[in-house]
Amino acid sequence: MERSPLVPDPGSAASSPGLPRNLGLPEYVTRRPSGFYRTLNPATKLAIAALEVVTVFLVPGWLGPIAVLLVLAVVAAASHTARALAVIGLAASPLVISIMVVNLFILPGAVDPIFRAGPIAPTWSGLWFGLLTSTRLLVFSSAVALAYVTTPVDDLLADMSRRGLGRRGVFVVGAAVQMVPRTIERVGEIMDAQRARGMDTEGRIWRRARAIVPLAAPVVFGALTEVEERTMALEARAFTAPGRQTQLRVPADRSRDRALRWAALLALAGVVVLRLSGRVG
Amino acid sequence: MSAATAARTTAAPTIEFEGVSFAYPDGTQALDGLDLRIEPGETVAIVGQNGSGKSTLVKHLNGLLRPTAGRVLMDGEDVRAVHVARLAARVGLAFQNPDRQLCAGSVKAEIEFGPRNLGIRGAELDERVKAALDAVGLAGEVDTNPYDMGYSRRKLLAIASVLAMLTPILILDEPTTGQDARGVARVGSVVAAAAAAGRTVIAVSHDMRFAAECFGRVVVMRDGSVALDGAPAEVFAEPHWPELRAANLEPPLPAVAGARLGLGSTPTDATLVAALVELAPERG
Ligand SMILES: Nc1ncnc2c1ncn2[C@@H]1O[C@H](COP(=O)(O)OP(=O)(O)OP(=O)(O)O)[C@@H](O)[C@H]1O
Ligand SMILES: [Mg+2]
Repeated sequence: MERSPLVPDPGSAASSPGLPRNLGLPEYVTRRPSGFYRTLNPATKLAIAALEVVTVFLVPGWLGPIAVLLVLAVVAAASHTARALAVIGLAASPLVISIMVVNLFILPGAVDPIFRAGPIAPTWSGLWFGLLTSTRLLVFSSAVALAYVTTPVDDLLADMSRRGLGRRGVFVVGAAVQMVPRTIERVGEIMDAQRARGMDTEGRIWRRARAIVPLAAPVVFGALTEVEERTMALEARAFTAPGRQTQLRVPADRSRDRALRWAALLALAGVVVLRLSGRVG
Repeated sequence: MSAATAARTTAAPTIEFEGVSFAYPDGTQALDGLDLRIEPGETVAIVGQNGSGKSTLVKHLNGLLRPTAGRVLMDGEDVRAVHVARLAARVGLAFQNPDRQLCAGSVKAEIEFGPRNLGIRGAELDERVKAALDAVGLAGEVDTNPYDMGYSRRKLLAIASVLAMLTPILILDEPTTGQDARGVARVGSVVAAAAAAGRTVIAVSHDMRFAAECFGRVVVMRDGSVALDGAPAEVFAEPHWPELRAANLEPPLPAVAGARLGLGSTPTDATLVAALVELAPERG
């Protein structure tokens, strides 16, 4: 019988160290992340991100955002994710600018103008409040983004299913998380198709706004069809068959993960309790 | 088609690719020093294995992609300088995936989308919608929601929505994928009608039979450049089979049959039959 090229040669597979590359396994099974933060268990990263988010918003004043910012800066540098975070920061810049402008000029109750030029009177308290709000926003999104960019989606899902989330739950979370990049890609292609049919998406703002309308239908319908098709494809491959599934790879959950996770959750509880009891702020 | 619209579609420009290279942002080199010249009114099938750069090539024609090196010219004018929305009046492109371009709630609105963007209104718009629907055999579906239609009919709708723009250049990216014999025949007659009206027709296809039967010229792409280029009888002639097979393409059956019978290059049913009749005239 002819050997199909997809079936691995058992001899060569046995001779290579660790998991053999060409065992016909998907790439996410054989690929290994490296580095301290990247190799943390996904649940640990989520716990840390949760602590950071709560600290940013519950610890009043500059203490919370600055403390978290320092932690993030160290981790981002160590895990080589500074670039990715910078891109996310840039993407948030329109929001940051509008927050700054709005607060600077029209913070309610602010009576300490920096200068006056007719009706224009930016205030010191507006400036501070705008800066603080923007920093919180940026630190919050960086904390979530850091966990996201360092965690392969498959790892997150594999870990959740091991923790007993159930196949349907894992599928729902997976579909939601993967929806983001897929939707971005789809929007790009749909816009191309519509420009090809003469839709003017360049130039004035109202023209671009008008172009959003014909975008909505294919984006939403396309996403729904895709989820439906993927559900059926999973069914066809016995996704909901009774019995335990074999997991090809499970992200490690070491003692340092458990320690870090407990520490993060305790600290989180601590921040919440201190805040509620009014001792902070 | 009215005299006015027929007159508008006769002015197809000459298309020239001069040493065009294109790399996607992730570094994939999709086009690599490609040279190609297409005269007004030609019908060209672009074939080649998956990933050889066919879709990338056609997206350069309406400015959706801009070359990283080289130039794309229309009647000598560099398309780099022209907005996509302006080029849309000259180049109609039906994408490979219909789900990424259908955007309206009814078939009629879908077909009107392109012509409306070109400023067409009133009776002429109605006339174009009707002609496009007739051309692809969807005349009974005016009010259907595109998302209630099956894949093959969504694909035909996407083609109709571009046909209605009456652009001098018509490009179809894999129009026959998922079509049954009747659907393929429909697409074939769309190509023939557009060519008869003087429009340049370019189609990307994996269907060698469709390429040989419906097009005057076949361009074989391989690794981002042109590997073979000529009339079907030249490209599908026996000496080129090794090159075709290297690009994962099989010559159409009549070509193989004709070569086996020593009849020369007979890429289409008609040429094979003609050669056979000549071989045995007393029976024909
Ligand atoms: N948006 C993109 N980003 C990165 N690489 C891409 C992108 N689109 C296509 N490619 C790559 O560019 C190369 C050429 O792609 P293209 O779609 O032009 O091929 P094709 O000949 O149309 O293939 P097919 O027959 O599968 O439609 C392929 O290697 C493809 O993976
Ligand atoms: Mg393609």
